[in-house]
Amino acid sequence: MDRIELLRAMLLIRAFEAALMRRSDHGFQLLSEGQEAVAVGLCSVLGERDQLLTSGRSIAPALARGLEPGAVMAELLGKTAGPCRGKGGRGHLAQRSAGFFGAHAVVAGNLSIAAGVALAAQLQEPGTIVACLFGDGACGAGALHETLNIAALWKLPLLLVCDNNGYSVSTPRSEALAPKSLSDLAGPFGIPARTVDGMDVAAVRDAARELAERSRTGAGPVFLECLSERFASHSTAVRETRSAAEMQAIRKRCPISRLADNLEAEGGLSASARKQLEEEVRRAIAAAVRFAEAAPYPDPSEAVSDVV
Amino acid sequence: MSSDARQKLFFREAIIRALREEMDRNERIIVLGQDVAEFGGSYREFEGLFERFGRARVRNTPVAESAMIGLGVGAAAAGLRALVTITYMDFLMLGLDPLVNYAAKARYKTGGQIEVPLVVKTTAGAKGQGVAHSQCIEAWLMAVPGLKVVAPATPADAYGLLKSALRERGPVVYVDHKRLFPTAGEVPNEETLIPLGEAAIRRCGSDVTIATFSFMTRIAERSAERLAAEGISCEIVDLRSLAPLDMATVCGSAGRTGALLTLEEGQLSCGVGAEVIFRARESLANLRTARIGALPAPVSSNPILEAACIPDVERVTDAVRGLLASR
Amino acid sequence: MIYKLVVPGPIEDVEEVRVLEWHGASGRAFEAGDLIVELETYKAIVEVRAAQHGILRALLCAAGEWQKVGLPLAVMSDDGAEALPDSLAAVAELPVEFEVS
Repeated sequence: MDRIELLRAMLLIRAFEAALMRRSDHGFQLLSEGQEAVAVGLCSVLGERDQLLTSGRSIAPALARGLEPGAVMAELLGKTAGPCRGKGGRGHLAQRSAGFFGAHAVVAGNLSIAAGVALAAQLQEPGTIVACLFGDGACGAGALHETLNIAALWKLPLLLVCDNNGYSVSTPRSEALAPKSLSDLAGPFGIPARTVDGMDVAAVRDAARELAERSRTGAGPVFLECLSERFASHSTAVRETRSAAEMQAIRKRCPISRLADNLEAEGGLSASARKQLEEEVRRAIAAAVRFAEAAPYPDPSEAVSDVV
Repeated sequence: MSSDARQKLFFREAIIRALREEMDRNERIIVLGQDVAEFGGSYREFEGLFERFGRARVRNTPVAESAMIGLGVGAAAAGLRALVTITYMDFLMLGLDPLVNYAAKARYKTGGQIEVPLVVKTTAGAKGQGVAHSQCIEAWLMAVPGLKVVAPATPADAYGLLKSALRERGPVVYVDHKRLFPTAGEVPNEETLIPLGEAAIRRCGSDVTIATFSFMTRIAERSAERLAAEGISCEIVDLRSLAPLDMATVCGSAGRTGALLTLEEGQLSCGVGAEVIFRARESLANLRTARIGALPAPVSSNPILEAACIPDVERVTDAVRGLLASR
Repeated sequence: MIYKLVVPGPIEDVEEVRVLEWHGASGRAFEAGDLIVELETYKAIVEVRAAQHGILRALLCAAGEWQKVGLPLAVMSDDGAEALPDSLAAVAELPVEFEVS
C-alpha cells in the first residue's frame, strides 16, 4: 500500500465517523479519531488469509481491513445488511471472510481468543498470522499476561498490537500500568517488541511489517506498541476529561494532516489531488450512508435466531 | 458380534474410548488441559491419547483457566474442534468470560458467521477437598443462552454423551463428578451416541418420580432400594442433559406418579430442581413437588460438615416419605 | 487346608477391581512374598503377594473379569492333592500382602 492509499484509508475512516456522529441515531460508539494511523498502518501489512481481531474500538480497523463502508454503517445502524445482520453492532463487528475475525467488546476479552485463532492458523495455514488490536486499558488484565505466556510457549503466529492512546476512559496510563513502556510487558516472555509513534502511519506500517514477517516464519508471537492520541472522549457515553486547550494542542498532531502535509511538501500530492481524494471519500461515505439507510431492520424473530 | 454386546469399563476408560474414537474420526479435534499429555489427566481419563495422537493434538497448558478456555474457543471458532478440560468445576469460574461472553454468543453476535464447536469438560462435586474444590454450578450454566450442558451418571453415558458433544456445532459443557470415577459400568461394544436433550429412566416406579443427574443418581438408586423394602415404588429420571432439558420425559413420569422430587448436589436456590419443578408445574396440574440439594453453605473438607451438607440416602428417603404423606 | 484368595482391602474408594494378570497357572506354588496376581482399580494397580505358602488350584476370575472387594478370585491350598469343597462359605482367606501403585 503506497502512502496515497494509506492517506485515503485514513480519510475514509475520519469521514465515516464524522458522518456517523452527525446522526441522532449514532448509538453507543467508541471512535478512532486521531488513532487512524494505527489501524491503517497495521492493516496495510496483513494478507488476505491473515485474520484481525480487535477490541470494541472497531470502526477504524474494520474499514482499514477493507470492509465496505456501507456494510459497516448498516451494522452500526442495526440493519440486516451489516455483516453480522445488525446483531453485533460496533462492539462485535465481524466479517470473517474479509479477514476481520471480529471485534469483542470485553476489554482484553479477545486476546486469548486471538491466540486460539493463531493456534488454528499454525496448524492449518502456516505462513499466515493473526493480529489482535487492543488498548492500553487491556494491559492490566490477566488475560494479556496469560496470552503472552502461552503464545510464547507455543510460538503462536500472533501479532499483538497495543494502541496506547494514554487513557483507560479517564485514567491516565501512568496511573494504571507500572511498566515504563507497555512493550516491556513482552520482554519477560521472550517476545520481540517495539514501540513506535502511532501518529505516523508509515512508522506503524514499517514496524508492523517487520514484526509480522518475523511471526510468519514460525518464530512466535510479536508485540507492537503504538503511541497514539484520541481526539474525542473514550466513548459517546462518557465526557471528555482533557481541557479545551489540551485538545487543541492534541489535534495539531493529526496523523492525516501530517501525512498529507508531508506528501504535499515532497511533491507527491498536489493540492488539487488532495481535494479530489477528499471528494472521492466524501462521495463514498455518502453512498455508504444511503445504502445503510435503505437497508431493512431485522424481523423481531431474529432476536432468538442463531442462539444455540 | 451381537449388537447388544457390552464391556464393563471404569468411568475414565469410557471417556478415553469416546475421545479416541472421535479423535480418530476427526483429525481436527485437539485436547487442551493441565497434565493431559504424558500424565494422562488427573483422573487418568486421557491416558493413551497423547501416545496415539501426539503433542500437537493433546497439549499440556499452564494453570490459566481463562486463557485455556479462550484458546479453545478461538481455535474452535477458527476451524478446529477443541476439548478443554478444567479439572475442578470451581475453576471454571475463571474461564466464564471466554465461555459465556464469547463462545455462547459467537454465532449470535456475528449473525451466524462464526460457530464455536467447543467442549469444556469439567469435574464437579464434593469429595473431601474443601470449599473451593467441591462445587456443582451446573445451574449457573444452564441459564446461558447459547450453551449446552450435559452430565453423565454412568460410564455408558459418559461415553455416549461425550461423543455427541464432540459433534455439536456450538459450545457444550460436559460435567462429570469426582465420585463417579471409582465406578464401573457396562458400555456397548458398538459405537453409540447419546443425543443431547434426552433423559433416561433408570428405574421404573409408580409412587414418585425422582429427577436427578450425575452422582446423585446413585444416591437416588440406593434410596429407591431402601424405599422399595417399605413398599414405596420410585421412578428415577436421570436428566443427563441440563440444557436442553428433557421435560417430556420428566412430565411423562411425573404425570403418572403425581409426585416429583428433584435431587441435586448443587444449591437449591435458582438450581436445577427449581427449573425442573417450575416447568413441570406449567404442564401438570395437581403435582406434589419437593427439592433436595446441598445445604446453603460452602462445602468444607471436614468430613462431618461435608456429609451434613451433601444430600444422602437418609435425606432423600425422608423427603420421599414426606412428599407422599403431603396433600 | 483350603484357602480362598479374595480381593484385598480396604482400598480407598474401591468397591470392585478388574483382574489384570495372573502370575501363575493352576498348580503353581507360591511362597511368601511371591506376586500372585495384579488387579486394576479405577486409578491404580494392586499387587497381591502371598504372605505364606499356597498352591493355586482354581481360578475363579480370569484376566479381564471383575470382582468386588472381599470376594473370591481363586482357590488355593497347602497341598496340591487336597480335595476342593463345593462351597467356599467356610473357607479361610489366604493371608496376603498388597501394594497399591
